[in-house]
Amino acid sequence: MKGKIIPLKDNLNNTIKEVIKSLLEKGCFDAILVPNRVPSGESFTYLLINDQDFLESCTPLPPIMPIQGARALRNLTRRGKTSLKVLCVMRPCEIRAAIELSKLRQVELENISFMSIDCPGALVTKDYIDKPKDSDILYEEVLDQWTSEHLRPTCNTCVNFSYENTPSDIHIGIIGQQKNHILLLPISDKGNALLGKIDIQCSDEISSWQTNVKEILQKKTDQRNNSFSELQNKTAGAENLDNLFSDCINCHNCMRVCPICYCRQCFFESSDEVRIEAENYFIKAQNKGGIKFPANTILFHLGRISHMALSCVNCGACEDGCPMDVPVAQIFSYIGDTVQKMFDYIPGKDRNEPIPILTYKEDELHEYEDSKGQ
Amino acid sequence: MEEKTLPRILGFLCKWCSSTGADLAGVSRLKMPASLIPIRVMCSSRVNPIFVLKAFLGGADGVLVSGCHPGDCHYQSGNYYTRRRFAVTKKIFEELGLDTNRIRLSWISASEGQRFVNVVTEFTENLKKVGKNPVKAEVFL
Repeated sequence: MKGKIIPLKDNLNNTIKEVIKSLLEKGCFDAILVPNRVPSGESFTYLLINDQDFLESCTPLPPIMPIQGARALRNLTRRGKTSLKVLCVMRPCEIRAAIELSKLRQVELENISFMSIDCPGALVTKDYIDKPKDSDILYEEVLDQWTSEHLRPTCNTCVNFSYENTPSDIHIGIIGQQKNHILLLPISDKGNALLGKIDIQCSDEISSWQTNVKEILQKKTDQRNNSFSELQNKTAGAENLDNLFSDCINCHNCMRVCPICYCRQCFFESSDEVRIEAENYFIKAQNKGGIKFPANTILFHLGRISHMALSCVNCGACEDGCPMDVPVAQIFSYIGDTVQKMFDYIPGKDRNEPIPILTYKEDELHEYEDSKGQ
Repeated sequence: MEEKTLPRILGFLCKWCSSTGADLAGVSRLKMPASLIPIRVMCSSRVNPIFVLKAFLGGADGVLVSGCHPGDCHYQSGNYYTRRRFAVTKKIFEELGLDTNRIRLSWISASEGQRFVNVVTEFTENLKKVGKNPVKAEVFL
């Protein structure tokens, strides 16, 4: 694969903006969905813009991810495809989540194009809001090191931070290059055509960038394995289950910020689950010697895992949104990983590969059923 | 006295095969332990993983999901989806360190009354060996 090296204008975000601007000018897109700083300056959110003046204030690679991009896109295409052509500038995990949602028919990808950026991870939102200015400087350091204790835990163990496994159209490579240039890479045919329209010929060697990606991938894979083996010890047995989620206050924030959790009527908020007669609780309490209120917090987490572990993209939004710092994302990422391996499935990797529970093979998984002829 | 020490199994039986199979076991007057609490579902694929988890966390010693043999589903392919979903649930049990022997997927057709008895008897015996569901003692679960 070949790419195009673009020299850096004063900073990274402005250089990316130049590319977006030329795409807009050539009429490749009608609108752009891109992260933007909120007026208070403390946070970021997605804006759908078609005005070049607004583009000046946007931040294609913000230090935090308070809104998962796939949720923004779900909002936009809830009633079907957009009539205008939209370019979404997102992190790789946001694009993968959007692909998963399209398989669940919650996002319509027609007329949508993706631009992904090598992602160093996102800072913890709560920390950022306390000190936005210091955190901005901190993020510059993160872009150098590509790992930091200030990042979301799942970002440090993320192995899909670059173009591999992310079906975007145009990818921007910044690993190891951010001091003087960025790399434009056409990932799909569509991306190739788009770059052609703004007169960019992709003929530059990208091997040095690829070596850098591999180096960081190795580092993050090691971190991932370490964190998984730690979690494996923590998650052993029914006695340890409540330790894992013991701080949970049952606010359901993790579910609301999750890009994949889309059910309009969630089981855990349905009357079946919520309106249980007092006698029922008494019976349960009598059997066990007592029960915890609110009831079924553990069931909520395990139920959520069993519903969406196959599609979990490890974005860490759940943990970031948790007011009690329950390590939800780490647990989901660990369990998601093993479940996804059962079917050799990487969520969001391939637009045409169905989610494993939405398809089947006739002859498979016999180790999970009772042996025949019993 | 013996009744009280029996494990409790919650069984999700599909209407078209397993439930009818259970019926056949009954009208044939076959004997089996009274450990199974049957719940009839229209298809085994109706069984949401949450049902299994809720039963387990609620203190059921075992959970049985049962449907038509692969290829015989009344709705053509429901049980294939069940198998995938059940496999995922079982894997999650495994990863969390929960006892995977407590959940079970069996294919029982409408004519297999004897097989229904065998499955329930064997499952009950296994559960007697592993003892009570440890979740029963956990107040915070």
